[in-house]
Amino acid sequence: MKIIPQELEDIVGADNVTADDETCRIYSEDAANLPGIAKQIIDNQFDVVAQPVTVKSLQHLLRYAMEHDLPIVPRGNGTSGWGGAIPVKRGLCVSLTQMNQMVHLDDYACTVTVEAGITWRELLMILERMGTTLPVYPSSATAATVGGFVASGGFGIGSAKHGEIGDQVVGIEAVLANGKIVRVGDVVVGPQPDDLHDEATEGTEWLSDKVGGSIRLNEVLSGTYGTLGIITKVTLRTIPKLQLRPFACSFESIADLAKVAQIMIDSALPYHLRYLDNNHTSKLASLIGFPAEWDKFLLAGALHGTIYDNDDGIEAIEKIVSENQGTLLDEKRADFHWDERLYPLRFKRQGPSLVPAEVTTPVDNLPDLHQDTLDRLGNSKFAVEGTIGADGVASYLVWILDDERKKFRYTIGWHRSFDIASLARKHEGHPYAVALWNTRHAKVFYGEDKIAKLKQLKKDVDPRNMLNPVKVFGGRAQTAWHSQLFGFGVGFILTFGLLFFGPSFLGLTRAGDLLTSFPLQFLHVQLIWYLSILGGAVGLLAMKLMTLNQALAMGIPLLRFLDKFLNR
Amino acid sequence: MTKPGPIEQSGQKNDPYVCASCGNCTLVCPVFRQMRWEPYGPRGKLSITKSILEKESEFNLEFTRKLFLCTLCEHCTTVCTTSIRLDRFWELMREEAKARNLTPAPVKFASESIKRTGDPFSIGRASRLLWAEGMEDIIETRISAKAEVAFFLGCNVSLKHPLHDVARSMIKIMEHAGVEYTLLGEEESCCGAPLLWAGEPEGTPTMVEKNAQALADLGVRKVVFSCPSCASTWISSMHKSSGTSAVRKMELLTASQFINQLIQKGLLAFEEQPMITATYHDPCISARVLGVGKEPRNVIERIPGIYRVEMVSTEEDTRCCGSHALLNMIDPHLSAQIAEMRLRDASVTPASLLVTECPRCEMAFDLATITLGYSVQILDIAQLVANSLSSEEGEGDVQQ
Repeated sequence: MKIIPQELEDIVGADNVTADDETCRIYSEDAANLPGIAKQIIDNQFDVVAQPVTVKSLQHLLRYAMEHDLPIVPRGNGTSGWGGAIPVKRGLCVSLTQMNQMVHLDDYACTVTVEAGITWRELLMILERMGTTLPVYPSSATAATVGGFVASGGFGIGSAKHGEIGDQVVGIEAVLANGKIVRVGDVVVGPQPDDLHDEATEGTEWLSDKVGGSIRLNEVLSGTYGTLGIITKVTLRTIPKLQLRPFACSFESIADLAKVAQIMIDSALPYHLRYLDNNHTSKLASLIGFPAEWDKFLLAGALHGTIYDNDDGIEAIEKIVSENQGTLLDEKRADFHWDERLYPLRFKRQGPSLVPAEVTTPVDNLPDLHQDTLDRLGNSKFAVEGTIGADGVASYLVWILDDERKKFRYTIGWHRSFDIASLARKHEGHPYAVALWNTRHAKVFYGEDKIAKLKQLKKDVDPRNMLNPVKVFGGRAQTAWHSQLFGFGVGFILTFGLLFFGPSFLGLTRAGDLLTSFPLQFLHVQLIWYLSILGGAVGLLAMKLMTLNQALAMGIPLLRFLDKFLNR
Repeated sequence: MTKPGPIEQSGQKNDPYVCASCGNCTLVCPVFRQMRWEPYGPRGKLSITKSILEKESEFNLEFTRKLFLCTLCEHCTTVCTTSIRLDRFWELMREEAKARNLTPAPVKFASESIKRTGDPFSIGRASRLLWAEGMEDIIETRISAKAEVAFFLGCNVSLKHPLHDVARSMIKIMEHAGVEYTLLGEEESCCGAPLLWAGEPEGTPTMVEKNAQALADLGVRKVVFSCPSCASTWISSMHKSSGTSAVRKMELLTASQFINQLIQKGLLAFEEQPMITATYHDPCISARVLGVGKEPRNVIERIPGIYRVEMVSTEEDTRCCGSHALLNMIDPHLSAQIAEMRLRDASVTPASLLVTECPRCEMAFDLATITLGYSVQILDIAQLVANSLSSEEGEGDVQQ
């Protein structure tokens, strides 16, 4: 695979392509500070970055990438930390941030259609001026793109009332890995000329035939991290903008908090519900001087309804909270916590680095999961927060404070992230996101039936696994030369040791003699050395052929052992 | 590659690691919005800095260029999730660039000019009173006069012809209100802000103290600035000043704050204006650093016949005009594009008049009206007020 940037420039325009090393490095990062060891199992720098501005240029890019066996990874603003937008085999980054227009606002159908690269903040700002708002948007709305959140799926602001982002998607336009343009659901493009109509109709029919009604078409593109197609437009549900009434309450225990949260969800009261554990509130400088919040378990959110409904709602919340040993905070503090909903990473300053882990669990299980987290993380400094969805399932996000400058300790500490992900299974949950690092949980996350169908579809649209490779479906990692050298070394030493000590241990004298013989007289090298080199080559080959999951399966226990050994 | 010294010394060496990569800063950055590539935004530059600290990248000319393609508008600082003082961080990085002799030529020119002629344009003190043409009689008596109020014009208003009317307008306002004021005239020097932006902060306190002591010697207790950056530089320098207590106790006001005070005291009388729709652009330093947002709006509201409408992104959330921190000298084209971008915000309002209180904003927008082909009048708040004063004292609507 050799990339010729000029050919990409012909497709998307010279100003929209760069192969500058520094730029490629920056676009290869997301919100997670990966330890150096990650570079041993993924080849994590793009060769080139392109910013297409039209659907047709994106389609041509995809076709080019497929023809040239060029891995291609879609990227929004890189605000997530699950590896969905980072490279694993170098290749081409497609940044969608220049496709950022609002396409059509339909007041009557209560929908808005936007290009994938628009940020949620921008969209909200426009909608709220028009008297409408969004049922769900991410806590990273200030920078996250619509396409990025829809492609990854999950909870957001508003999920307590309206569910996950996938439930708000009315239609999606995307370019599939094979270059076909599809429009699934109802993509409302408005009265302007629609140049893509015929092509999109044909593409959508093709996709319908392939999927055959076994999965909702929206689900092919929402929650699959751009592994099947790159989202270009999204039609979202809108709701009328009514009065927003923030509230916040604090508790001495997470059990009380979980109980109140469950009652609120059962009563369909809040629009948004977010919680912080006492580890979190005790690390926020902004809460110093507020004894009702500092070192307490905090439940904050907002009602969204008519003034009368909200008055009744606040009254009901006051009653629920006081009956469950909680303290309802005043309006000023409630407003503060509402504004803070978009800044979940405030306390990273105390790290300065974070190791994240996020899972889901039913609200009822939060106290047990929290206890297990405390037991598991021992002396680590960490904080927990989460969002609660309409179905009573909570996201449970653990931020473990660390310092990436202490390279060795930081690296070995990463097993904690995977440990929390595994812990969720015990509490009827699963990792919050699959993306890159949790593909071994894909069956639990998507369900066996769905992941099987998605896999089949992946084979149909992207048989060589070029579009966002390794994400969701797993695949072979591209190990760096250090790892390959390590594989060679291990293979060599093991073979040599076995052949050197084995024959005498087993009393095989003739085999011992054979190993010390010189098969090639002119080289004067004993057979044992040839065989050890062969063993090294097998080790190297094993490293090259290893899948990411196999690498993680070997690496995580090793990191865990080292961490225990060093008594962190 | 060694670790950048000023960052180490300032206590901000953790900041590149503290960055949460949330992208808030990048999305509001006016330079990124034009350049469209991450390395030009704050998140990208922090990433490069981290890479330099990790000895994986070089602190080279290309990175320096990116450091100086920044208006230091502080928008990134106000939205930072982890409370990184990004504006300060970029100033420190510019210091590092200076230490490595990588400062861009236009910036070197500005700092050398300040040392040579007392202004960043190399124009010289002899031209500092050209603005007073037509009002020499009034001004002569005010230069170095003993008074409690001083008007500090700043280099742009003193030396750039299109801004001379801003100075004349403030004089008209003070005369109308009967304020006893003084001017430094040709003795006025640059406030020192460009030295901060050039990565030479050690020169700034000297510049501030030189001007401030001259005013203190005249008995000045209140200084009115026509440029918010001058005010901001004085305020931050005075906190650390080793000057006399008279200097440290001075009240430092932007034009709108001062005019608002005059209005509150009932010292200004206005004539009815012919139904003008105006919008106010908050200069970055006024709104984000000095917290001045209510006062200019109050002033506009008090002028009869002026109807105020708001653009998107106001007060602390304002968008930069593109001219701050020497960007208009380093990359005039980029600076002009940023001004056009902000003027577009005004173009979707019904306003026929854009008011602001920063001379650089005024010049940038004035140029953008031509390059964008959008007809809107640009006025400093002092010009708007001076043009609206009743011609005879006691006439018009006196606002109490």
